[in-house]
Amino acid sequence: MKLALRELRRRPSRFAVAAGVLTLIVVLLSFLGGLLDGLFLGSTGALSAQRADVFVYSANSRDSFLRSRIEPDVRAEVAAVEGVDTVGGLGIGLLTAAVPGQQDPADVALIGFEQPATGIPAPPPDGQAFADRRLETAGVRVGQTLEIGRSRTPIRVVGWVRDSNYLLQGGLWVNADTWRATVSAARPDLRVADGVMQVLVVSGSGTPASLAERIDAATAGATRSLSRDDAILSIPGTKEQRSTFLQIIFTTLAVAAMVIGLFFSLLTLERTGLYGVLKALGSSSRQLFGGVVAQAVLVTVVALVIGEILTIGLTAIAPSSIPIELTASRSAFVAVGMLAASVAGSVVSLRRVVRIDPASAIGTSS
Amino acid sequence: MTDTDDLTDDTGVCRRGSTTSASAVRRFGARYGGRCISASVVERKEDVFLAIRELARAKLRFILLGGAIGLLVFLILFQQALLGGLITQFIGALRNQSATVLVYGSDARRNLEGSRVDPSTVDAVRAVDGVADAGPLGQGTFTARADGALADATLLGYRLGGPGRPTSLNAGRLPETDFEAVVSDGDSSKGFTLGRSVTIEPDGRAIRIVGVATDARYSATPTLFVSYATYEAARTTANPDAGPITPSAVAVTVDADGDPGAVAGRITAQVPGTEALTRDEAISSSPGVSSVQQSFYVILGLFYIVVPLVAGLFFLIITFQKADTLTLLRALGARPSMLIRNLLAQVVVVVLGGVVLATALLAGAAQGTKSIGVKVDPTAIGVTTAVVLGLALISSLAAIRRVLAIDPLRAVTGKDVLG
Repeated sequence: MKLALRELRRRPSRFAVAAGVLTLIVVLLSFLGGLLDGLFLGSTGALSAQRADVFVYSANSRDSFLRSRIEPDVRAEVAAVEGVDTVGGLGIGLLTAAVPGQQDPADVALIGFEQPATGIPAPPPDGQAFADRRLETAGVRVGQTLEIGRSRTPIRVVGWVRDSNYLLQGGLWVNADTWRATVSAARPDLRVADGVMQVLVVSGSGTPASLAERIDAATAGATRSLSRDDAILSIPGTKEQRSTFLQIIFTTLAVAAMVIGLFFSLLTLERTGLYGVLKALGSSSRQLFGGVVAQAVLVTVVALVIGEILTIGLTAIAPSSIPIELTASRSAFVAVGMLAASVAGSVVSLRRVVRIDPASAIGTSS
Repeated sequence: MTDTDDLTDDTGVCRRGSTTSASAVRRFGARYGGRCISASVVERKEDVFLAIRELARAKLRFILLGGAIGLLVFLILFQQALLGGLITQFIGALRNQSATVLVYGSDARRNLEGSRVDPSTVDAVRAVDGVADAGPLGQGTFTARADGALADATLLGYRLGGPGRPTSLNAGRLPETDFEAVVSDGDSSKGFTLGRSVTIEPDGRAIRIVGVATDARYSATPTLFVSYATYEAARTTANPDAGPITPSAVAVTVDADGDPGAVAGRITAQVPGTEALTRDEAISSSPGVSSVQQSFYVILGLFYIVVPLVAGLFFLIITFQKADTLTLLRALGARPSMLIRNLLAQVVVVVLGGVVLATALLAGAAQGTKSIGVKVDPTAIGVTTAVVLGLALISSLAAIRRVLAIDPLRAVTGKDVLG
């Protein structure tokens, strides 16, 4: 094993090309993962931030926020369900906002809410909003008055919130009345009557599944309740996006394993004679193979470090329209995946190392 | 096989002085690609099959390389297909409708879903010079009941006979009255079938499907082209609280010899509160399309870099490993061009093998991802193969340089040849 590490130190150039290829693969993986996370968080942040156990949609909405409508009488039925502690309303309108001093309007998700959520305080007074930091790139500043939609309904930004967007549109969090008035004015065809919200966010006792079941039973099928995770995955495109990206990511990891397998099997081949000598001198297959794995892992670690740095740089210069989100958990995922690929790849050389006959060290050249 | 007796013994070491072959072998039993070959191969120096034979002998290595390249090419092809499929899924309805100019509300950020125009805008647009016809276009996503089950559906309402009608009809006919529809294909399993009816929830009137159009989905949902009045009715059904229904956009056809771009410019300038786009502009600026495209291009670019690097690295390493043998071959009179031909032949075989593997994988993946419109496109495979092959050949320049640098004299003087 020591020998393997010494070789790495003495002749780093020999491993440079493999490290370079792996670095690129790390960049690819981090970029793909970051894109997945960015798209996911940008689409689902508004829902992830909710502290609710269960989201209650109207039964005929097909779990679509924008099409769901909960009338006050249904809401009363939900509130009366045993085990329900709090019931809050939530509504989202996808609109545009004219930003002072900016030529182009900004895409906003106007979100009406009644209960504070993670990172989002209690609803502001009428006509005021918390804006998501994402809107900063569109020129939005705290203290500005935005004009929403064709009706140019004024809403003043009074503070920032984070990770609270919906379908990649910047979250603009307002109280329920402001939401109803603004959506009805900007989009008459989506008008919302008094007391109506799109979705109820409910917390209570028992498992989310049983709570959801009790609520749907109490409303006699007028509602469809989902756990928070299901509600997040019901956002259009989210599920498909995630499965597609994960497929690409895992295939890329397979490529990494093959590249490592290829490189180290070539290297092992080159060292066949040397390994014969080492075996004749008493090294075991286990030690020699351990050396190969150690080298593969170390080369991968170097590739991981450089790759992560490159990804951070690449992300910094990428246009803001590419929604990349780099997270520590994604980096950890890439690191674990690559290390697993490096070990898996070096196993290819195991057979060859085991098969080397120490007798070959004597009398013949190789 | 007299000229390629495998002289490898159990330890993978060449037994020199073998008595089984020609004298050349006795003198020059050599390692080539990790296996032993007899030197009589060299005597037939034009033997390009040497390269192929090496592939067969060093199976594991070339399978790994072919596999890695195959997977990478598969990823490139799959992502291209995915990108094309996704975009068609999202804006197929815009591409395959008859209006060449679409007029959005100026605050819509070029998003049909978020666009509303005043009904009076339609007449104002029609009056603009160069406009042949203009009509209201309504777009909305609804919950529909088809075949007894709930499903998402997009309605595109246009003035029957006017701009905005589907152009890729493959079965049936266009709607002639209200509550008739042409549906995008691909959703017959959900009940969106010719001759059937769907209703808009909660209590809409039945809409009868009278025609089917190819690649005409919008927002990745089944799309129904209906009369504008049918669209208005659906809006009111879905939201009884709704106020007056206004068109999402104005669909415009231009005069026979007119330029859509110029007409769009005139509309934007002359009709207040509008932003007119040509059909292509409307497609490329649809939400998601450009950011999805950019993201995919970055990823594809990176994959295109990895492929030649892997191939180049591999061939460089095996060239180094074969340096002794290659020196020997040169000393025996093999021209560098022959060695390079062998190298390039291997690159081509490996890349083509990878492409075959990638195509098989893609065909499999396309079966599993039909719903998002991944199709096997021979042109894309051809182009990608050409690019990958080109890049791989370029990357093998490093190995070629190494071959050219071989000095045959070393076979006689260098102790690194026969030990």
